[in-house]
Amino acid sequence: MEGILQDSRAAQVTPPDFSAQVLFFPVRHHSPVCAFQLRQAAAAYQPECILIEGPENANDLIGVLTDAHTRMPAAIYYFYKDKKKYVSEDARDYHCYYPFLESSPEYAAMQTAKEMGIPARFIDLPYSEILIHTGAERGLRSEQERHSYADDSRLVQSRFYQKLCEKTGLRSFEEFWEQYFEIRGLRMTPADFMHQMLVYCTLTRDATPAAQMEEDGTLAREQHMALRIREAMESFSRILVVTGGFHSPGLAERIAKPVKPLRLHKFTDDLHGCYPIAYSYAAADALAGYASGMPHPYFYDRITQELAASGSPEGIYSRTVLSLLTETAKACSDKDLPLSIADVTAAWTVAQGLAALRESPEPGYAEGCDGVTAALIKGEKTPAASLPLQMLHKLATGDGVGHIGDQSHVPPLIQDFEQQAKLLRLKTDTAIPQEADIALFKSERELQKSRFFHRMDFLGTAFGKMRKGPDLHANRDRSRVHELWGYCRTPQVDAVLVDRTTDGTTLAEACRNLASRRLREERRCEIAAHVCVDCFLMGIPLDAADTAVMEEILANDGDFFSVGSGLHAFDMLRELRALYGFEDPANLRYLEQCFTKLTALLPSMAGVDAAQADDCIRIMRLLYGITGSTLPERRGQLCDALEAMTLHGQKEPSVYGAALGLLYATDGTWLLRAEQAMQGYLAGSPEYRKQGALYLRGLFETARDIALTDVQFLHMTDVLLAEMDYEDFMEILPPLRLAFSYFTPGETQTIAGEVAGLHGRDARHVLQGDSVDEMLAAFGAELDASIFRTLREEDA
Amino acid sequence: MEQNFIKPPVELRYADELAFLRKADTGRRPENWQLSPKTVRTFILGGTVTAEDGSSMDIPRKFYGNDALVERAIITLAGSRGLMLVGEPGTAKTMLSELLSAAICGSSTNTVQGTAGTTEDMIKYSWNYALLLSKGPCREALVPAPLLIGMERGIFARFEEITRTPAEIQDSLISVMSDQILNIPELGNDGMILARPGFNIIGTANTRDKGVNEMSGALKRRFNFETVAPVRDVKLEREIILREAADLCKAGHIDCAPDKDVAELLAVTYHELREGITAEGTMVEQPAAVMSTAEAVSVYFQTLCHAWYYGSGTMELPVLTENLLGAVCKENRDDLEKLKGYFNTAVKKKSQGGGLWKEFYKTAGLLR
Repeated sequence: MEGILQDSRAAQVTPPDFSAQVLFFPVRHHSPVCAFQLRQAAAAYQPECILIEGPENANDLIGVLTDAHTRMPAAIYYFYKDKKKYVSEDARDYHCYYPFLESSPEYAAMQTAKEMGIPARFIDLPYSEILIHTGAERGLRSEQERHSYADDSRLVQSRFYQKLCEKTGLRSFEEFWEQYFEIRGLRMTPADFMHQMLVYCTLTRDATPAAQMEEDGTLAREQHMALRIREAMESFSRILVVTGGFHSPGLAERIAKPVKPLRLHKFTDDLHGCYPIAYSYAAADALAGYASGMPHPYFYDRITQELAASGSPEGIYSRTVLSLLTETAKACSDKDLPLSIADVTAAWTVAQGLAALRESPEPGYAEGCDGVTAALIKGEKTPAASLPLQMLHKLATGDGVGHIGDQSHVPPLIQDFEQQAKLLRLKTDTAIPQEADIALFKSERELQKSRFFHRMDFLGTAFGKMRKGPDLHANRDRSRVHELWGYCRTPQVDAVLVDRTTDGTTLAEACRNLASRRLREERRCEIAAHVCVDCFLMGIPLDAADTAVMEEILANDGDFFSVGSGLHAFDMLRELRALYGFEDPANLRYLEQCFTKLTALLPSMAGVDAAQADDCIRIMRLLYGITGSTLPERRGQLCDALEAMTLHGQKEPSVYGAALGLLYATDGTWLLRAEQAMQGYLAGSPEYRKQGALYLRGLFETARDIALTDVQFLHMTDVLLAEMDYEDFMEILPPLRLAFSYFTPGETQTIAGEVAGLHGRDARHVLQGDSVDEMLAAFGAELDASIFRTLREEDA
Repeated sequence: MEQNFIKPPVELRYADELAFLRKADTGRRPENWQLSPKTVRTFILGGTVTAEDGSSMDIPRKFYGNDALVERAIITLAGSRGLMLVGEPGTAKTMLSELLSAAICGSSTNTVQGTAGTTEDMIKYSWNYALLLSKGPCREALVPAPLLIGMERGIFARFEEITRTPAEIQDSLISVMSDQILNIPELGNDGMILARPGFNIIGTANTRDKGVNEMSGALKRRFNFETVAPVRDVKLEREIILREAADLCKAGHIDCAPDKDVAELLAVTYHELREGITAEGTMVEQPAAVMSTAEAVSVYFQTLCHAWYYGSGTMELPVLTENLLGAVCKENRDDLEKLKGYFNTAVKKKSQGGGLWKEFYKTAGLLR
């Protein structure tokens, strides 16, 4: 390393002084070597206090993270609601994670402090202040970094490291870091390692413009951290300061002089705060998008565990890489790609050989990848053939989820989630996606499970996604009796539950309050009805106040179609109440209210726009259906409304036909009116005649038996079509086809027979044509087969 | 000396470099290797080497692209498995195989060229029938083929285009690679040939031949595979074209200065036709023909030759276009339309900026 960092500036970097009052330990997040050397340095330095980079409003959580029952990965979840617009004018909500792994030096620092019986503190600005001091689209406000506090991008993205890669012939920063810091660093003294880190970080910092550090909040944060260090210097004579390597040179310079404190804002607890949450390896992977730290976190956690178990760095990487290669071969074999011990040996030989060629004391993850690439991928390296490499990455990333031991700081909503998941035997301790097949009506427990998933979905946690099952919102697949849910507990699930803590302490309470809030924000019956469907699926009844809100929405919504959608939803909920074992008595009242509203609006819908005619007819049929089941006493009210429709001046033909059809279904005497209307279309101008097809469509949709029982009606239809010229007929053909699609094939055949009779022809003759000679048919079949054979041969 | 041959073997072409590297090499080397793995890497990927006596030499890079692939290839060859280089035609698989053989064994010519007519005796051994008839089966009458030569001398046997060879012939390698023994029953007790340390096999297979004679699973297990990808960097491709063309000119005694701008134009054209998208984001149809860097070098060198023998010594774009047409429209008539399409969209757009692209666009009429 000395060779490649030869630089006059490097020579100016002072080696760490273990006798100084303040000892800076520069780290990279999630780096096992930093954690290992930090423990060694602390043992040598014997600090009285350890100060750690991290938003200081989480100081109370240090004890939670170091609790004996807490298991990594875990994270501190920070949130800030910018209601006062200190950050920007859009007053948005912000949140981020500060993840910890076994290999995190910050976690090692907290544990070391606990073991030594000395205080540990976070010294960075509170999360809210960091945001306030950061420019738009910079630092924690940038799209890439906004979700992760632990950011190493400046170490990774600097032009300085690119030059180092060119000089050392290495492919990437990660390969460079693993070889020169992780593996070689384990064999250094703490002082030498810290010096090497300081040199690298100083040179990286030198390559970063001051304006950039100002914009991304670095300078403000360092000012505050320096202030906290100087405050600690008044009480302690040996202080170990653990910060990201980029900050260490800046802080060392700042504490030499008095530091002016920044003005901090005051916020109530509902506007900012932090909670400990379980985290996952998958989310902690630096390659996972917005995360930072090291890639392949489980691999490096295993290095840390091996170090803790053996106490010596010798052979740690060799053993871990070899285990990983063996596990990769096994995982591939499980996926029907059998790999032998000989293959693993070949991969291991390549990894060892490459380590020697690259002058690395041991093969690391990069060499493991190369071993797999060379020896386990057979043939051309395509995405399909790269399964071994994919398995290696997957195993190295890890699928575990951590656990918070001390529940006193865990939000009650997360506790309730964990309790219910446990009761329902749902796996929440792994990041591997799981599946739950719920037989909805088999038992109460199964229904509870379904409600649990729907509640989590309603809260927006993205914990589960229904892959199959009845979709009551879209009125699809209602006959399904199973729900198939894919689910996985990710840190985002915990984060959303933390955010929802203000809504309630249990899932049921949070869902009820959220539903209540949504209802209050809603003005349309259609959307409000969906909230009721959600409540039905979640098994949560609305309280009296919400019922009043719902009734008010129904009363105020004058949109026929919106109320029609509501009617449909409430009718469905009434229908399913016994099956789902849940009934909200208010649903019947909503249904009645919708019915009343719709029948009042119905006469004005006679002249509805053609594009909305189908929806209108659907609602008319639904109203008619409801008067046959739930509200029989309202049939008269509906008939009055339908009759009023028929008297309307401007009538959409299909809606008019549907109204007459429904009236005919109630009272056969309306047949005459239906025939008269048809006559009217027949006698009209050519344009008016074309509307006859639409009229028929509406009529047949609600009363198709009219065509089967009334020959006169068929005759009129026949005249209508016969008198039309070719172009007009082609124009009305689509709605006409649709009109006849309401009949079964048998009914269509009967109608065809009747129509054929009107023209003096035999129905069978028209429908089937002339009979064909048996020999000719056989010849035709043979010819077809021969042609297909020839075509197939040509294709081949 | 090398100028007396059309294409001198790598060990002859780079004899000075190899001699210096052998002198300066202090690293550990596997038995029978002429250079240590680290020095082999330097020979192929370039670097500055200083000998113990203080003399130093700049070794130019000879293979561009994936450095880690070269490292893996070197380490594979030091182990018990063979090395199989696979990839599109023209991705320098053969060149890499020659460089590795020359650096490690001092010989890149112990080669079997795989074809549909390759037989087992072309790989292992055959007989001098006159001697066989007069003296009977004896070592004197044996004519060793590359595999036997490699085993006896402890050097690599190169097997080019292995998938063009019938599968049963390919499989004759299995027993040798497994046991490192070649049995010649006619020689009786003397017929057991044991491989000397340093022996290994480097195979190449082009992915366009996939399915012609697919390798058996048993043979695949005895190789480590490396996929050599085409050069994706236009600047790098331009450098390769210029360097290779300069070498070819030197070998052919053509004293014509390469035109860097034309090389860049050709590199861009090949890159965009290969990727199916231009630098400006225009989608273009990819020809079915192989659009490799080797083909680009060939087109460039042909144009240079034309300038040298028939022209004024300056590269002419109409000639370049004609050579490009010949290189792209070989097997598929549709490729002509694709090339025309490239001119009518991408080249036309670039020609609006004037300069060489404008001149290039004017030659579009030659595409017929």
